[in-house]
Amino acid sequence: MSSVIEQIEQQIANLQSKTVYSNTGQILTIADGVAKVTGLSEAMYNEMIEFPGGTIGIALNLEEDEVGVVVLGESTHLKAGDEAKCTGKLLSVPVGKGLLGRVVNPLGQPLDGKGPVESSESYPVEKIAPGIIERRSVDQPLATGIMAIDSMIPIGRGQRELIIGDRGTGKTTIAIDTIINQAKINEVGLASGDDSFRPVYSIYVAVGQKNSNLARTLGVLEESGALKYTIIVSAAASDAAADQYLAPYAGAAMGEWFMANGMDALIVYDDLSKHAAAYRQMSLVLKRPSGREAYPGDVFYLHSRLLERSARVNEDNGNGSLTALPIIETLAGDLSAYIPTNVISITDGQIFLETDLFNQGIRPAVSVGLSVSRVGSAAQIKATKQVAGKIKLELAQFRELAAFAQFGSDLDAKTKAQLDRGARIVELFKQPAFNPLPIEEQVAVLWGIQNEYYDSIDVSRIVAAATSIREFFTTRKESLLTDIRTKAKLDADLEAELKKAYDEWKPSFA
Amino acid sequence: MTTADKKTKAYAKSLMKLCWQDGEFSDERALAVLQSVEKNPPPRYAAFLKAFLALVQRAVADRTAVVEHAGSLSDEALQATGKKLSQRYGRAIEVQSRQNDALIAGVRVRVGCDVYDSSIAASLAELEASLS
Repeated sequence: MSSVIEQIEQQIANLQSKTVYSNTGQILTIADGVAKVTGLSEAMYNEMIEFPGGTIGIALNLEEDEVGVVVLGESTHLKAGDEAKCTGKLLSVPVGKGLLGRVVNPLGQPLDGKGPVESSESYPVEKIAPGIIERRSVDQPLATGIMAIDSMIPIGRGQRELIIGDRGTGKTTIAIDTIINQAKINEVGLASGDDSFRPVYSIYVAVGQKNSNLARTLGVLEESGALKYTIIVSAAASDAAADQYLAPYAGAAMGEWFMANGMDALIVYDDLSKHAAAYRQMSLVLKRPSGREAYPGDVFYLHSRLLERSARVNEDNGNGSLTALPIIETLAGDLSAYIPTNVISITDGQIFLETDLFNQGIRPAVSVGLSVSRVGSAAQIKATKQVAGKIKLELAQFRELAAFAQFGSDLDAKTKAQLDRGARIVELFKQPAFNPLPIEEQVAVLWGIQNEYYDSIDVSRIVAAATSIREFFTTRKESLLTDIRTKAKLDADLEAELKKAYDEWKPSFA
Repeated sequence: MTTADKKTKAYAKSLMKLCWQDGEFSDERALAVLQSVEKNPPPRYAAFLKAFLALVQRAVADRTAVVEHAGSLSDEALQATGKKLSQRYGRAIEVQSRQNDALIAGVRVRVGCDVYDSSIAASLAELEASLS
C-alpha cells in the first residue's frame, strides 16, 4: 500500500507545472462601450482583448500610454481597475455549412435557441481581399427572380450591386427576393442531379435593424424554404455600436469560406448607412478626428475593404464567388450625400429605387435611368439578352416622353405608340414581394412583349395577362420552360414553340 | 483631453526623461527632479504631479517583479526568480514577495504588464473556460 502512495507522490513530484504568460493591463475608464486600458504593451491592432467574465473587446486605438478597446456585447459589469489581457488572436468567427439555417451574432454565437453552432473552422473577421491575380471576370449569372432587374440590370456572381433608395421603397424586399430565388434555384438544381450545378448560399447581415423587422424577414425566409440555405448575422438596433460595426465583416468571413472552398455565396448588407453611423459613433467615442458629416477620415476604407472582399476567384483559387448586395438608405432621394457616393463608387453598379414610383404602385420601384449594372451584362444568359435587349432603352424613352406628354394633349402616332408600349412594359414589370420568377418564365413573358402579343391588351389588364401566361406556361408548357432553362438561348425551334404557345393562349385570355 | 491636459502630460514626460541613468530608472534622479519642480511649480501643478506619478509607477513596475504565492516561498527561490527575470529582461529586477492564498498553490509573477502564472487558481480558471 505504502509503495503505491510513494509512486503517486513520485509522479506528482515529476509533474511539470505549466506557466501561462499573458500581457495585461488595467481599465482606466470605460464609457459608451469603449474602454481605455493602460498597460497591454504588446497589444496588436484589431487583437481580441479579454476582460473579466469572458467579455471580449477589440484593440482599435493603440496610443503611447493607453489602448482604446471597443467592448463587444454587454459591458456594464466592467469597471475601472479591472484587468484586461491580450489574447494574441485576431477576432475570428466560426464558418462553414453548419451555420446555414442559423441566426448568429457578429461573434458567430447562436441567437436562435437552436443549440450550439456546428463548426470546426474559424476565419478572421478582417481579411485582405483577393488580389488581381486570384480573380477572374464575372461571367456567371446570379438571377434575382425580379424581372425588371434580371432583364435590365443583370447581376453576375462575384459582383457588388448596390441597392439604394429612401426608406420604405422596397430595398430589403429585393434582397430577400434574391435570397429566396437562390433557394428555389438550388432546390431545382440539386434535385436535377446535375454535377455541374453550383448552388448559391446566402448570408443576410442585419445591421442596426429593429428586431421586429428581422423576425419578419426570418419568417419569410422560413416560410419560403430559403432559411436552410441562409445564414443570418444580426446586430440589432439595441446592440452596441461595436457589434453593428463588426457584423458585416463577420458575414463577409462566413461568405469567404464558401468562396475559398469553391462554392458560390451571396451576401446582403442591410444596411451600410447604419453601419457607417455605428462606426461614426465608435470613432467619436474613441476621440478620432472627425471629418465631413462627423464621419472619421477612413469611412471610405471602412466600406471599400469590406466590399472588395466580394469577388469571383479563378480556378487556381477554387473558382468560387462571393456576390454582395449592399443596401444604402438615402434621405429624400439624395444620391450625392457622403456615404451613398462612397458606396456607389466602390460597387459595380446600383439599383436605385424611387419613392414616387413606389407610391404610384410600380413595385419594385426600380428607376431605370439611374440604375446600372457595370459588369453584369457579361453574365446575362443569351435568352434574356435576346428578349430584353431593347427594353431598358424603350423604358427610359417612355419615362422621358411621359414627362413631356403631361404638358400637351396632341401627340403624334409614333410618340403615342411609344407611350403605349412603355406603359405596358411598366405594368409587365410589376411583381409582388417575395415572389421571384424563374428565369425561363421571365424569358417567356418578355418574348411576348417583344413580339407585340400584349399590344392589343388594355394596359389595366397587363398584370392579369402576365399572370395568366405564366400559369399557362407552368401548367401546360412545362417542357418548353425546361428547354429554355437548359438551352439558355432561344433558337428557331424554341421561338416557334413560343409563338405556338402564345397563339394558343391569346384567345383563351381574351 | 484638453490642450492644457496634453501640455501637462508632455511636460511630465519630458521631465521623466531626466530620471533615467544608464538605461535604468533612477530613484535619486526622480527625487531631484521632484525637488526642483517643487521650488518652481508649473501651472496645473496637481495635474502635473498625477501625470508624473503615473509615469514613475510604470517605470517602477517595469523593474519590479511581484511574486505572489500561496503558502511559504524560500528566499533562495525568490532570489533565483529575480536572477532569471533580470537575465530575461536584460535589466536589474527587484523582487517583492506577496502572500496570496487565492492562488491555492503555485506562484504568479508580475513584471510591468507581463504576468507569468503557474498557480492552481489559473489552471482551474483555464479548465472552466474550456468547459463553458
